[in-house]
Amino acid sequence: MTSDKHVSELSPELHSRLAHLVMRRQAGLSLRVASVFVVLLLGLPLLNRFAPAIAGAEVLGMSASWLFLGVLIYPITVLLSFYFVKQSDRIEAECTDWRAVLGEEAGEPLEPKGVDDVRPAFIEEDLGGEESR
Amino acid sequence: MNDVSWIAVGFVVAMTLVTIGLGIYATRMARSASDFFVAGRSVSVFWNASAISGEYLSAASFMGIAGLLMKNGYDALWYPVCYATGYLFLLLFIAGPLRRFGAYTIPDFAEGRFDSPTFRKIAVTFVLFIGFFYTMPQMKGAGVVLGAILGWPYWAGIVVVGAVITFNVALGGMKGITFVQAFQYWAKLFAIALPIFVIQATTGGYAERLEAERSRPSELPTIAESRTVSIKGAKSFPANVMVVPETGSTRITFPDGAKLARISPASPAGSTDPNAPLVMIGSAPGSSRGLGAASDVVIEAGATLVSTGRATRLEFAEPARAEFAAGSPAPNAPANVKWSEPFGPLTSKHGYPLLYTYSLIVALICGTAGLPHILVRFYTNPDGRAAKRTTLWVMAMLGAFYVFPPIWGTIGRGAMPWLYADNSTDSVVIRLPAILESKLLGEIASGITSAGAFAAFMSTFSGLLVSMSGALAHDIYGKILRPSASPESRMLAFKIAAVVIGAVSMALGLLVESFDIAMMVGWAFAIAAASYFPLLLLGSWWRGLTKQGAGAGMLIGGLLSLSAIIVSMLLDKKILDAQPSPLVRSLLEQPAIWGVPLAIGVMVLVSKLTPSGLPADVALKMLRLHAPEELGLSKNYIEH
Repeated sequence: MTSDKHVSELSPELHSRLAHLVMRRQAGLSLRVASVFVVLLLGLPLLNRFAPAIAGAEVLGMSASWLFLGVLIYPITVLLSFYFVKQSDRIEAECTDWRAVLGEEAGEPLEPKGVDDVRPAFIEEDLGGEESR
Repeated sequence: MNDVSWIAVGFVVAMTLVTIGLGIYATRMARSASDFFVAGRSVSVFWNASAISGEYLSAASFMGIAGLLMKNGYDALWYPVCYATGYLFLLLFIAGPLRRFGAYTIPDFAEGRFDSPTFRKIAVTFVLFIGFFYTMPQMKGAGVVLGAILGWPYWAGIVVVGAVITFNVALGGMKGITFVQAFQYWAKLFAIALPIFVIQATTGGYAERLEAERSRPSELPTIAESRTVSIKGAKSFPANVMVVPETGSTRITFPDGAKLARISPASPAGSTDPNAPLVMIGSAPGSSRGLGAASDVVIEAGATLVSTGRATRLEFAEPARAEFAAGSPAPNAPANVKWSEPFGPLTSKHGYPLLYTYSLIVALICGTAGLPHILVRFYTNPDGRAAKRTTLWVMAMLGAFYVFPPIWGTIGRGAMPWLYADNSTDSVVIRLPAILESKLLGEIASGITSAGAFAAFMSTFSGLLVSMSGALAHDIYGKILRPSASPESRMLAFKIAAVVIGAVSMALGLLVESFDIAMMVGWAFAIAAASYFPLLLLGSWWRGLTKQGAGAGMLIGGLLSLSAIIVSMLLDKKILDAQPSPLVRSLLEQPAIWGVPLAIGVMVLVSKLTPSGLPADVALKMLRLHAPEELGLSKNYIEH
């Protein structure tokens, strides 16, 4: 039964499908966070160029632009990262079981082959073999 | 500075001894080969983040940013910002997958991801390439600091510092330096933060200084008391150039005389008579003569040069002493408005400020994510999740540090304007404490920053040395030359490699005295941005990347960017005599804006043309990069 197998024993098709599903969720999160950051960072030169009155407004003795680039950008980046790490952990927690990720696709019966006690040897052989290649 | 600052020397020696001591202490714990290469992966997130930050904060961060900001103002803020926030891209796209894949070095990743030992060789050459470019500015930092506080010749600082660090790395490996690096982060944070608080009590605060700049936009910083400065000769071009500003009344006396290679107007004549004299020169009142544009001008001993209200560029042929009269505006300094507002002298110099700014941002952010000595450290995390946590901490730690160098640069502009005169703003972090009223306090503060600068180039050089030695011992010896080598012989290979690479770095460091620290660091970042960054990004996220595509993109992107920077540098130094258009010139100096897309484009194109280059189990590889460890797919490239 497929659901008894270790994930490394799955068919390439299922690997491909699983990788696609896991990556899609992680990439979606990464791109969301990155786009916020890119808008902030790449937007600032445009603001400096085309709205100097806003960029140059005085805040706490500095220009707003200087305050943002010299001080505020660091805590903002840390907050973005913190959000990313939390969300990314959540995605990983949901992806620890490949059966859950694949959902119904995992159900199709394949030839019964692997049982739990051969798993370590199999991993050694398959993944460890690359070492000497 | 001819006299030795003994207090500063004491701090530097103490810092060095603690570094070696920690190295020796940690060596006792480094037993297995895995310990030696990757610190046994037993380091906690907090200490690992400290170590990464400690390794990352180099001479460029500790000394270079403050100097660059003092020189160029607002635009230089992009450097620390991108140095720190480059880690966000590392976090979002690279840290987790790279750790999960179990690759210890980028060459491991290259071979493992593409099943290609040939590609490993290409990747190894880039570790050495980027590494050597990055070690050169560190070596220069060592030579300059020891020259400033001890009066040593340039070479002596390099040899002593280089030998100490090489010895330390060869003995302790990476386990040895994990503790040392972590300690050095905290030492550097302390050294950059504490003295500037004390100094601001004398000079006025950061915001107060910035406000003063903004309230008098057209003014320049003024040298308040008469001050003698040593000007460099033609050998140090372009550091031998002095631009006398049009505003203010500049009076410079040359007690030993001076030889000028050239005197020329620094700005278009405009409505003034082009034949009017640029400066007046004379030994006594009433006897002065006017000087127009000319070559090979000899100024007699004791003569005084007075500005006539036209910006004038003096190019010194030989080293000279110049005494600035009280009230002279600082030469070479941008006016307050240019300094404190965006698109100042740094990004506007070729006339394309927006393009220059964006290209700088791309280079620094993508370059950070592709530095080999930093990526190695992610392997010291137990899993991909810890790798992400570590990166988060690194950003917090770097952010805390990078708030301070701009304060040094801002305060330095008002308090030590004569550093502009001999183009030595790079040393502002070491010299600024001297303005404190208490001489003792000033020397202690200068000692603290000297020790911090020392920690900066020591830690970065150690990290690069481990990275490059690891590439030689682990990748070339262990994987290519003798795959059957025992852990003991690989450890010996590591030590030998460390000594050889340390020696080569010292030799290279001796060659680069006249190059800018920031420029050399820029080389390393631009090469990394156009070679490793696309490899890691596409390698982690696009299953269709083939070894041919990755190799071609890396070579074309990396080598073309490198060539562009070298050409630009030769143009700067006037070794190459050509007049490319301002647009071309901008793109040569900051190649990342075309180099990174080019590398990615070549990778995609060549991969599409060579579908047979896909590894058979690419699906499993992609899964291993992205699936959580609990799925049980991770593996490690280093045996325990």
